[in-house]
Amino acid sequence: MSEQKISAASGPVAAAPVHRDPLALVVRFQSLIGLVVVAIGGIIFSPRRHGEILFLNPDNIANIVRAVSETGIIAIGMTFVIITAGIDLSVGAVLGLSSVVTASMMISGGFGLIPTILAVLVMGIVFGVIQGTISSRFRLEPFIVTLAGLQAARGLALVVSGNQYINISYGDGPGLAPPVFAVLGERLFDNTVPVATIVFIVFAAIATIVLNTTRFGRYVFAVGGNERAARISGVPVSMVKISVYAITGFAAALAGIVHAGQFNFGSANDGMGYELTAIAAVVIGGTSLFGGAGSMVGTVAGTIMLGALANILQLNNITPAMQLLATAAIIVLAAVLQSLVRRREGLGR
Amino acid sequence: MSAPLLSVTGAVKRFGGVQALRGVDFDLKPGEIHALLGENGAGKSTLMNLLSGVYAPDEGTIQIDGKPVRFNNPREAQAAGIATIFQELDLVPTLDVAANLFLGRELMRPGGFLDVPAMRSEARKRLEAIELAIDPASMVANLSIGQRQVVAIVKALSYASRVLIMDEPTAALTVGEVERLFDIMRKLAASGVGIVYISHRLEEVPQIADRVTVMRDGRVAGVTEPHAPQAELVRLLVGRPLDELYPERAREAGKTLLSLRNASFRLAHESAGWQPPTGISLDVKAGEIVGLAGIMGAGRTELLSALYGTGLTGRWEGDVAVDGRPVKLDSIKAARDAGIAFVTDDRRGSGLMLRMAVGLNLVMSVIRRISPFGLMSARRQADAVKQSFGQFDIRPKNPDIAVGALSGGNQQKVVLAKEILGNPRLLLLDEPTRGVDVGAKGEIYTRLRQLAAQGLGILVASSEMPELIGLCDRIVVLRQGRNVAEFIGGVDEHTVLDAANGREA
Repeated sequence: MSEQKISAASGPVAAAPVHRDPLALVVRFQSLIGLVVVAIGGIIFSPRRHGEILFLNPDNIANIVRAVSETGIIAIGMTFVIITAGIDLSVGAVLGLSSVVTASMMISGGFGLIPTILAVLVMGIVFGVIQGTISSRFRLEPFIVTLAGLQAARGLALVVSGNQYINISYGDGPGLAPPVFAVLGERLFDNTVPVATIVFIVFAAIATIVLNTTRFGRYVFAVGGNERAARISGVPVSMVKISVYAITGFAAALAGIVHAGQFNFGSANDGMGYELTAIAAVVIGGTSLFGGAGSMVGTVAGTIMLGALANILQLNNITPAMQLLATAAIIVLAAVLQSLVRRREGLGR
Repeated sequence: MSAPLLSVTGAVKRFGGVQALRGVDFDLKPGEIHALLGENGAGKSTLMNLLSGVYAPDEGTIQIDGKPVRFNNPREAQAAGIATIFQELDLVPTLDVAANLFLGRELMRPGGFLDVPAMRSEARKRLEAIELAIDPASMVANLSIGQRQVVAIVKALSYASRVLIMDEPTAALTVGEVERLFDIMRKLAASGVGIVYISHRLEEVPQIADRVTVMRDGRVAGVTEPHAPQAELVRLLVGRPLDELYPERAREAGKTLLSLRNASFRLAHESAGWQPPTGISLDVKAGEIVGLAGIMGAGRTELLSALYGTGLTGRWEGDVAVDGRPVKLDSIKAARDAGIAFVTDDRRGSGLMLRMAVGLNLVMSVIRRISPFGLMSARRQADAVKQSFGQFDIRPKNPDIAVGALSGGNQQKVVLAKEILGNPRLLLLDEPTRGVDVGAKGEIYTRLRQLAAQGLGILVASSEMPELIGLCDRIVVLRQGRNVAEFIGGVDEHTVLDAANGREA
């Protein structure tokens, strides 16, 4: 990733005093640096078999990027929301709801693949629009509105599924899903690149362009940076806020479809805690919870870094408990670095 | 005879129980620069917010070209050609200068993409048009307050088609910048734009204005021509001759309470826009009120907050002594232990718990004293509250209502009374009468003088020169964090301003 490419791609963030403060430089690229550190650590501490570094085994790499694709998609959406100084806690539940609706539309409803996918994506958007509208219209904290949304989505998912796994079987005819849907669990390009990862990366690329080169993206930064200034400048603040929740809703629905395709079932209880993993990835990626600053590239790097860290710990048979502690330490480190830079730049706490 | 471009008739605006505007008439002709003067709390800002669409009036009408209009938001006012320069806080600190200038009206490339290079080069042109060397790509958070003010001005200038409202645009500018700004304003006026110029720098009025409207207590106190004698303007501003507002000065001062000798505050990290105290020498004696004067950014607030330990992280160098004993003053606890109390310039933000009752706010500084064994004693609390209400005429006389419901003047009395309860020996005041009506001002001045007579030392920073001149025994002028001059109270305002601006007297 060249310096020049970053500054050309991202107007607002590139304006940060990249060269003035070495600490700011570290924070700006903290997730990329973290990713490199984790990768080097992975190579050093990787178990070896017949001299081969297991961490670098193509299957292992594919596994890492496949495993993070769902939370990655969610984190991409979450980045927009957090840059506006908002939060969306409903995404994990919306993922569960979407997986259930995807499965039941195809299996019990007899809908085709395209109508199903479109319907689920629209459902995610509508869910986000409702949350954004309630939050904006009644001036409620997004935290509380999306906490309610989380409960609502889980409830709806249980209603739709009847609290049962909805298994997806493939084939032609009623009660069967089109076989092409199973591609989400496969790998392309000589069985190397997981399709779920391709969805994640394509979505990330589009989101990066939207955030950094469009008027909408600029408004997202403005609303989070100083809402009053944005309003006075004629930025449609409510529309921007509603839109970012529509984006997280869309992302969660997309992740839910990928989930159903990868695991061949819909389950109302899946995606639990994904919202927190996604928020962690966004924060590690250098996006400020105070709003107004953030980076999509950082979110992608943060997502992959968390996945790679979990992977190397697993390869060494380190317990899930230790994995949680390691993740905790990294989140705190990322947040402390950001706080130091904010203080230096005179932005307050 | 040109018809008014913009006129306001009978405007009334209330905020809760506070009546900010009580029937205001105001008009602006094309090509006119109309100065709007008033003390803080007189209603200037509320009137400005009505014109710029931030609030709608409760009663009265706004007309443009004789047609009634009603603005529901700032965008509608802008569409009608009314541009407003708000204070620097209305920029987005995390965006760069060009992005701020074009916020809401971005230049686009085909396909819906931002045209960042075009915006940067256009921004550069506009900044250069008023001969300002600010990089359009620098983030606003890294600009000084003065630079941010200029960016806000350039932003408003770029879409002012008919009316430009400027709220104290010169407060943070250097003398040269003010001259350039006035040139630009004259050019704009010559092209037919009407300009409302809000200020409380009286000396600027004859330089720039065609007409002057003076507001007081939510009403128009008078409309006059700009070359009216200053005494006349002051009379309109404060509603009575200047000398009646301020109590008599102290006869003699006691022993030295605070002594700074070549004292500097070394920041742990440099911070743009925060001027640390640099080589300051000053004394505050018991019974004395000492004023801190200086232009915005001279380091007044920074000196007070560094003394109280609420500023940025850093440490004092040089000699800092309280009561003749060297002290470190590196934390709030150190300051309070030394008998120092501090009243912030931002009572709503950092002075009061707005939703909590007046009584609870009052005892906040003496919680320890009124809660033996950690249990709040209702009796001791009531005693403390009674003491405060005895000292300050806080209205309504009810300690149980939320302090946020009080008027600005009464809130300020609560903040002051709260700190007085702690029996400090040295009181640091930052803008003690900001947003306070004239009546409450007079009462606050009188109380401060009485407290000083009882042996309290007071160090007060203010941007209102008449306040410093009228209230203080001595005035210390700061520039770039240093004390550059010192005057006896009652000194001529121009002398102090010249020193503050670095001009030879």
